Amino acid sequence: MKKGIRTENIKAAYGEKVIIEELSISIPMGQITTIIGPNGCGKSTFLKTLGRILGIKKGYIYLDGEEIHRLPTRELAKKLAILPQAPQAPDGLTVEELVSYGRFPYQKGLGRLTGEDKEIVSWAIEATGLKGLEEQATSDLSGGQRQRVWIAMALAQETEVILLDEPTTYLDMAYQLEILELLEDLNKVHGCTILMVLHDLNLASKFADHMIAFREGRVIKAGTPGEVMNKETLKEVFQIDAAIVTDPVSARPICMSYQLLNKEKNRSKVKKGA
Amino acid sequence: MKKKNRKYVLILLLILIPAAFFISINAGFTDYGITDILRILAGKGDGKENIVVLQFRMPRILLALLIGAGFALSGCIIQGITRNPLADPGILGINAGAGIMVLLYVVLHGAVSFGSVFGLPFLSLIGALVTGTIIYALSTQKTKGVSSMRLVLNGVAIQAGINAVMTMVIMKLDDSQHEFLAKWQAGSIWNANWKFVAALLPWIVIGITYLILRSRHLDILTMGDDISFGLGVTVVREKYRLLFTAVALAAACVAVSGSISFVGLMAPHLSRKLVGSGHRLLIPVCALTGGLLVLIADTVARTVIEPSEIPTGIVVSLLGAPYFVFLLLKERKKTVNS
Amino acid sequence: MKQKDEGKNRKNRGYKALLLLVACSFFLLFFMVLSIIVGAAKIPFSTVVDAFWHFDKENIKHLMVIDLRLPRVISAVVVGAALAVSGAVMQGMTRNPLADSGLMGLNSGAALALAICLAYIDKVTYSQIILSAFIGAGAGALAVYGISSLVPGGNKPMKLVLSGAAVSTFLVAVSQAIAIGNKMSQNLNFWTMGSVTGNSWNQLKAAVPVIGAGILIAVLLSGRISILSMGEEVALGLGVRLNFVKTVGTIVVVLLAGTSVALAGTITFVGMLIPHFARYLIGPDYRLIIPLSAVLGALLLVVADIGAKTLSAPSEIPLGALISLLGVPVFLYFARRQKGEL
Repeated sequence: MKKGIRTENIKAAYGEKVIIEELSISIPMGQITTIIGPNGCGKSTFLKTLGRILGIKKGYIYLDGEEIHRLPTRELAKKLAILPQAPQAPDGLTVEELVSYGRFPYQKGLGRLTGEDKEIVSWAIEATGLKGLEEQATSDLSGGQRQRVWIAMALAQETEVILLDEPTTYLDMAYQLEILELLEDLNKVHGCTILMVLHDLNLASKFADHMIAFREGRVIKAGTPGEVMNKETLKEVFQIDAAIVTDPVSARPICMSYQLLNKEKNRSKVKKGA
Repeated sequence: MKKKNRKYVLILLLILIPAAFFISINAGFTDYGITDILRILAGKGDGKENIVVLQFRMPRILLALLIGAGFALSGCIIQGITRNPLADPGILGINAGAGIMVLLYVVLHGAVSFGSVFGLPFLSLIGALVTGTIIYALSTQKTKGVSSMRLVLNGVAIQAGINAVMTMVIMKLDDSQHEFLAKWQAGSIWNANWKFVAALLPWIVIGITYLILRSRHLDILTMGDDISFGLGVTVVREKYRLLFTAVALAAACVAVSGSISFVGLMAPHLSRKLVGSGHRLLIPVCALTGGLLVLIADTVARTVIEPSEIPTGIVVSLLGAPYFVFLLLKERKKTVNS
Repeated sequence: MKQKDEGKNRKNRGYKALLLLVACSFFLLFFMVLSIIVGAAKIPFSTVVDAFWHFDKENIKHLMVIDLRLPRVISAVVVGAALAVSGAVMQGMTRNPLADSGLMGLNSGAALALAICLAYIDKVTYSQIILSAFIGAGAGALAVYGISSLVPGGNKPMKLVLSGAAVSTFLVAVSQAIAIGNKMSQNLNFWTMGSVTGNSWNQLKAAVPVIGAGILIAVLLSGRISILSMGEEVALGLGVRLNFVKTVGTIVVVLLAGTSVALAGTITFVGMLIPHFARYLIGPDYRLIIPLSAVLGALLLVVADIGAKTLSAPSEIPLGALISLLGVPVFLYFARRQKGEL
């Protein structure tokens, strides 16, 4: 049995609109992988297909050698957790309740929490630094805390793999770091495989072991941050002219500043219009 | 409410309901003490007492409780699944669809015979399912799935259409039928006898049991499709099953009471306020709250302008419409805060 | 070059509107005559003409034409025009494609006021009825607008329809309670189901001037409504006095909706459908939409009333129900076509 996630020639579409076609790629296990790309490039769609939220029209997705669409959905939920972008909890749900929903795939019948379930829930709460907030309503928490609750729920699923779609959206800078450092810990300490879509290039580069750059439903480049965060790739992916330097602290490539490639063209358009 | 106190809500409701029960038995032109009532219930009343309490009041009260529970649970499921706090089987037009089948049956057959009492819920289920499917299909968009806002909007429209048809049918009737159907359309417990209790009871009991068994799935579905998929719920199948349950509950209730809107809106809301959104506790609390609401409304309807009777549905609407507005306004507070 | 085209286009639109107006007025006249001819007893066209030119008090058919059928068809015309224009004004002011006096609580407010009037005032005069209908429509409008202005995104079609539905349900429930309490539910049903059957010249004398004035003001206001329909900021930027237009517009809507309820009971969907249809025919300019809506609305009601009279003769179908049946599918179609968030 081969470990890891692998896709073979997958095709994904919303109705008639094809987003991804003929995509084959593998995601390394035990690492943090970040996906970058411009709006509408199919990166979220890709994540959703891996999490079987969106069905695929063609091709195969394998997790540890098994095709995910053949697995019962609960079995898959024990192996792979997915956190959509900006999830919404119903009003009045407490932190503990929400995290305990992560135990759903393991429960039978009426679904009382077993002692083991409770242990795992409190572990997840502790690991995400939410201890003491168990009885709080999730709606009363700050954005960063709320996002941690969702991550705790995914942790309570006890999966090897966690997929996250822009876990830092709507958070300010300190919270963004907080969340990403939490995920880094989970990876280093517990060996979780983490695959996430990130908007911010520099954060993506800073926290990734492996990066994937998307454009128009195709993978332009996959590799270490050094291989992906360079002038050529960013030019192809985002149509920008980027100045890349090395972060003195993390020793990762970061994008100092950038310009639009076809800036001159845009200017002339404005003139003509006037 | 603190989590610890949540269980007391259930106990409180279990006290309030018998209290409302006694008040309701006495509401009207009788005045029995508690001991009298217990005596009559024990089968030791005289002829007149037996008729008033056992033949008129008791079945009516039980029907009110069952109907309230049925509509409330139906609303609770629909709200949970569509994640729309404004959903209610009445507002969505499901009640109207169920109602027109019952109406047509009554018009074509005149009276309702013993056998047909038990068939009536099935008939109204057909109407409700057809309407529900139409509304659901109209609200589904190819790429985006079901939009909960469109669901309500289409529901309002379909309901207007069905009401128009009902009006046309009613115009064809003679005066006594007309009066009866006008009341039924407004939602009243029109034929309170033990047969109807027996016809409705299994639907509600099976419904509640099934929902309590499925409470975990409901919890997760309220967090949206993506999360539900992630946690291993077979979303589409589960949704269809639960929505079917919701439609069946509403349809069975409509068969005996006409359409009572807003119970399915208010009861789940109040219950969520009281015990949070975990469905294992929410479902029984919701059923009891709904039952209590309709029982109170029915008692008021029976007594406020004696000797004539207002349909129960009107009393519920008078409470429910402002509540609906209150919910619309509350959304404002939420957006301002966040 | 391009500008010239646009200018030509606009001019064409004006001609097109004029042509449509004339054509529709012609149709309207035709159906009005038809409406007088058909009914429980058929009256030949020649008798109708006679009744107009050589009215004979002794002739029953002449009396029928002048005292029953003529007021009825005129009621249909003015009610249709009033509802359609009030809908157009509402749609323009609120930029809400689903606006309709029936959906927005005006009609049920007026109906409630009528119920109160009929139940608690002895020997109501017709002007009292009309006055109470205004008050009721105004209160209904106020409630719905008030609620939706407090709700976030309350101007979104969806929210407005929902507030309207809630307020309507409440008002209808109160009316029903009053009706049942006073044993007059049959009587009230006439108002709630919508009909122009029993209208007399006395009622028309009180109602027609109000509706005429309302439509006239709406036409005078139509240019500003066109600008307002592009958004409040735009309108302010172009120097439209927002509060003035909105206040006058709302008064017009209340006058028109209230009077039509007093004449014909609650009829929903005309106010929503007709302006849409007019917009589909001649584009987004309210200076054209409002007059065309008036004619089309009148036409719809006259035709529907002929249907109500004849489809299941000898009994009549309630006009309001018939129009709802026509209106619902169209409403669903528009709601479905509406893109984006509702």
